[in-house]
Amino acid sequence: MTDVDPRAQQLFLTDGRVRRRRIVNRVMEGLATVASATAVAVLVIVVVSVVRNGWPALNANFFTTSPSFSAFGESQGGILSSIVGSVILVAFATLFAVPVGVLGAIFVSELAPRRLANVVRLALDVINGLPTIVTGIFVFSALVLAQGQSALAGSLALAIIALPLIARSTQEVLRLVPSSYREAGLALGAPRWRTVVGIILPTSLGGILTGTTLAVARVAGETAPLLFTTSLAATTVTWDPTQPVQSMPLTIFQYAEQPDPSFHTKAWATGAVLLFFVLLVSLASKFFLARARRKLSG
Amino acid sequence: MSGDTILNVAPIEIAQSRERRPVTAARETVFDIRNLSVSYGKTPAVKDVSFEIYRNMVTAIIGPSGCGKSTFIRTLNRMNDLVPSAKVEGDVLYHGQDLYASRVDPVQVRRKIGMVFQRPNPFPKSIFDNVAWGLRVLGMKDNLKDRVQHALEQAALWDDVRHRLKKSALGLSGGQQQRLCIARALAVEPEVLLMDEPASSLDPIATSRIEDLMHTLKRDYTIVIVTHNMQQAARVADLTAFFSLDVLPDGARTGLLVEYDATEKIFTQPSDKRTEDYVTGRFG
Amino acid sequence: MRITLQEDLDSINANLLEEGQLVLRALRGALNALREADAELADEVIAFDDEIDRRYISIEQGIEVLLARQTPVAVDLRLVLAMLHTNLHLERMADYCVTIAKLTKLVANVEPEPRMIQAFEEMGSRAEEMIRVALDAFVNRDLEEASSLVDLDELIDRANRRVVRQVLELGPDPARTEWGLRMIVVSRCLERIGDHAVDIGEQVAYLVTGEFREFTDASHPVERS
Repeated sequence: MTDVDPRAQQLFLTDGRVRRRRIVNRVMEGLATVASATAVAVLVIVVVSVVRNGWPALNANFFTTSPSFSAFGESQGGILSSIVGSVILVAFATLFAVPVGVLGAIFVSELAPRRLANVVRLALDVINGLPTIVTGIFVFSALVLAQGQSALAGSLALAIIALPLIARSTQEVLRLVPSSYREAGLALGAPRWRTVVGIILPTSLGGILTGTTLAVARVAGETAPLLFTTSLAATTVTWDPTQPVQSMPLTIFQYAEQPDPSFHTKAWATGAVLLFFVLLVSLASKFFLARARRKLSG
Repeated sequence: MSGDTILNVAPIEIAQSRERRPVTAARETVFDIRNLSVSYGKTPAVKDVSFEIYRNMVTAIIGPSGCGKSTFIRTLNRMNDLVPSAKVEGDVLYHGQDLYASRVDPVQVRRKIGMVFQRPNPFPKSIFDNVAWGLRVLGMKDNLKDRVQHALEQAALWDDVRHRLKKSALGLSGGQQQRLCIARALAVEPEVLLMDEPASSLDPIATSRIEDLMHTLKRDYTIVIVTHNMQQAARVADLTAFFSLDVLPDGARTGLLVEYDATEKIFTQPSDKRTEDYVTGRFG
Repeated sequence: MRITLQEDLDSINANLLEEGQLVLRALRGALNALREADAELADEVIAFDDEIDRRYISIEQGIEVLLARQTPVAVDLRLVLAMLHTNLHLERMADYCVTIAKLTKLVANVEPEPRMIQAFEEMGSRAEEMIRVALDAFVNRDLEEASSLVDLDELIDRANRRVVRQVLELGPDPARTEWGLRMIVVSRCLERIGDHAVDIGEQVAYLVTGEFREFTDASHPVERS
């Protein structure tokens, strides 16, 4: 055994200050754990209660029939036309929002002079802050008053909501692309746009998909902008985007408004389906994100 | 025996190794830099630099941190254009043509004057596509495979990668990545290769390979290298420019060219005291 | 692999070996001039030294630049240092050849004593052999060959010790006495050339083993069997 230098021994002894530091440390750890547990608990409670309340209505009939509302008696309908409607709405919204959002983000991050980029960024932030009901009213006054309600009008409203989300997340991803790629491209004598299209965009594709899927998940649950734009729908299935269509959020709303409790169960069940859809999309986005990370790190 | 047979010999050429006296050899000017000053906004970075860079030689730029080495080398292919606040004064003549003349397209400049950066930055693509990308963009698509192979051979990387051209470039080691970046730059057939601290993130063996590469490449290219490693400059460069920091009357600090000479001169008997202090490690 | 360093080392090495060949030529010229009492040839030997000096300086500069630029280490460093010394030794040998040539000129009008000329011819041949052996050992990094120089040197040393007696036996003629005195210095020069060859051998040993060591210590002679 070697002798311990007494000064070294002194160095690591526990005194009052060390003890207090330890306690503070424990408390902070505890608080953080409780906070995150709360977040998880909220999700679990929501999912459990939605699924449990809607469970009795979740059968094959529910997915193969369209809603029917009669003020008396039990509900007979399902949500087939609502699912189809939601798919149409989300698909068109994505179609509108993705090109504009992604190109806008490329413009802001890669091409625009700094001042102009700031203006565009501010505009996108303002759009992001718009209450969705206002977006709905805007589309109502711009389109619906003249053309009448349609799936397209609803999609447009959803696209306006998705646009800043996609643009913002794309900007974030573009910022993750090392500037050394841009330098490398330019140093080869490639024009800027070739570098963006050939290097930057492929590199960030995964991240852009992530942002897009999250935006899709978000707008799939929107109700307010649809009230003015595509709420007066027939309860039958329609694939025609120029006609108003049913949608899941609105159907929840309508089922919940009915007096008979069997309708309420259907509202819960529709909620469960919507929840499941959003969850699925979120998981998909996680998958894209992981792929993007792998690509960037080799 | 007659003395003639013993001593009467043709005078022997003092056969020193080939590039011993590059400064006195016939040489062709590639860059003629005249009174070049660069500033970022109101902050000066390099002030009043004038010297010439010669063809088929390795010219090293050395100096302490902040002396404007990187700023300087980036003016040679207009990479500083990417920094909005950068302002360039004076002339950078490339074979007599001012690179900063209003009609000159910086994209065209960079085709002729390639660059390799401090950290290896291969694209997240396959090894083949890394080299082929520039060729495709510049429309040099004939004999694409041959061109890629030739570039990889020039960069002494072909034997390492010939069997995995389709694999991701990011799977290569740091030294291999840097040689890939050199191959990528060479593929588009530049005349000049600018290297901004090309080995600073590499281990000694990878560094040595890059240095050997420069030695071979200067037969076909003109190379300018910025390095904070004096010994590296001593090893690879024919000519060395020493940049230092100067304090202007208003207190701002700026880089300036102190001495430019044959590398052996700089490292055996520099004419400026500041150069001597720097290369011997006696600062200030 | 450090191509530049290797190329530079090779180039200096080649220069050094050529310098060795030049020294051999100078020595042969000096010996012939001495034997024939040929003042003209002696002048040529003296002029030839400029050639060797140029070679010497170019090697010296090459090494200076190599040290400044390539910072050699380990075996490369030892090689550079060994070359630095060997260069100097070769240059010194050439200087001794010049001295022999100058002495030859001074007594060119005196008939050489055949017996002594014969002895110098032998010493000279041994010196030539030693230079060859030293250069050969250097090229082949041959420690054994380098050590053999000590024995070869011993033969020259013995011959050198005999010269004084031979001079004393030359008789009372003042011209011949002067010739004899000059010849003592000539003998001394040849002996020194042998010493420098041994020194080159020591550089070879250093290059191979990494240890500085003298084969023979003049102030502490060792008995050899």
